[in-house]
Amino acid sequence: MKTPRRVDIEITSRCNLRCRYCYFFDNPDSEYGDLPAAEWLKFIEELGNCSVMTVCLLGGEPFIRNDLPQIIEGIVKNRMRFSILTNGGLIDDDTAAFLKKTGRCDGIQVSVDGSTAETHDSCRGEGSFEAAMHGIHLLRSHGLPVTVRVTLHRKNVKQIDNIARFLLEEVGLPMFSTNAAGYLGACKSSASDILLSTAERREAMLTLKRLSDAYPSRITALAGPLADARFWLRMEEARSKSSPPFPNGGRLTGCGCSFENIAVRSDGSYIPCNLLPHLALGRINRDPLGEVWIENEILNALRGRSRIRLSDCEFCSDCDYIPYCTGNCPAIAYGMTGKIDQPGPDACLRHFLAEGGDLGDLLKHDLSAEADNHAE
Amino acid sequence: MLPLWRNMSKEPKNPVANPLVVLREEFDQWAVLFNPDTAAAVGINPVGVAIWKLLDGQHSLDEIAKTVRDSFSDVPEDSFGDMKAFVSDLASKGFVGYRLDE
Repeated sequence: MKTPRRVDIEITSRCNLRCRYCYFFDNPDSEYGDLPAAEWLKFIEELGNCSVMTVCLLGGEPFIRNDLPQIIEGIVKNRMRFSILTNGGLIDDDTAAFLKKTGRCDGIQVSVDGSTAETHDSCRGEGSFEAAMHGIHLLRSHGLPVTVRVTLHRKNVKQIDNIARFLLEEVGLPMFSTNAAGYLGACKSSASDILLSTAERREAMLTLKRLSDAYPSRITALAGPLADARFWLRMEEARSKSSPPFPNGGRLTGCGCSFENIAVRSDGSYIPCNLLPHLALGRINRDPLGEVWIENEILNALRGRSRIRLSDCEFCSDCDYIPYCTGNCPAIAYGMTGKIDQPGPDACLRHFLAEGGDLGDLLKHDLSAEADNHAE
Repeated sequence: MLPLWRNMSKEPKNPVANPLVVLREEFDQWAVLFNPDTAAAVGINPVGVAIWKLLDGQHSLDEIAKTVRDSFSDVPEDSFGDMKAFVSDLASKGFVGYRLDE
């Protein structure tokens, strides 16, 4: 691929909230400064010339910029589509109407972490639940594609049933996605209050697996307890049957982002991914995107992770799951170990089991759900 | 005022690429056509890329087919029907229109 298909732009470093587990803030390597719209528009023109297909705007909080419509008009003018990640609290009716009118919005993801203000606001701040729900209402009233991301942490992990019922039945969303707070950014300073314990994680996996069966195709996850539950069950089944290795198993293939996407920090530095802000690759409007994409040594080294065998990683020594494992997210690996060329301990099945976790109830649930399906 | 781009025409003349559609050229001369208004995307091979680049409203389908046959050694002489079907398929998806007579 000569240029990335998608570019994730941290369009601002400002935010109206200070969520306790935000990956964006408190990164010592980030420079938290905003660029003027003219700089972004120049870069967006380059993206259009590079045939980039879509731009994801995030922050900080994108809607804190008064000139956001001008930037989005630049994206539209340069023949691209866009999506936005937001806390939803700064969206007004005019903004929603503008987004709809562009005809190019792929989705607006709003973060909702609870079914009540008490739960949601526990980590995001007072008033943020009401503001997020108002934003969702406005977006939906204009017919925009709204998605919701639920980040699980110690303050909401007991509320998963309520959250699912609230979002899918009361609010009437077609679906929502889940992940869990990770050892990144602001979370590092209060990890013990935020990150799920092994027991909580096990409970979250079981609850989400049950709910995802009860609401088919309406709860999704690329990472976090539900994604782990699904993948670890496959791994355990394969290991117990001595099945052939998974196609991408046994090597650090857990992330393919660097083959399709690139990101830009709010200060204009290219980075491989928003979760790897310390890996600056160059600067927009100085270093051509096409050159950075093809020639940057850091980016190419990141792509080369897929050649690193787990059997060569000390962390994986003697692990029975190696043929079925992909080494997980490199950003979490870096956050926890300071190394990018190693597997991530966070989504490691063996590590989970060694910490006292087990898949027993999940396996029982899976077998019982399978039996129910056969009975129907 | 010419050229006019339309995805439907009473009197189809020379095919014209929808100017909104993005040609993403990948390695090995393959490419993706992407319509940002609809998010529709189509993968095309090197012959398809060559055809696409000639959809400027100045060339008839006959002329395009001849140019492409002259440029690629492995394109058969009787490929006109395939090329016509390819352009028609793109037209049905809104990627191509036809220049109109005044």
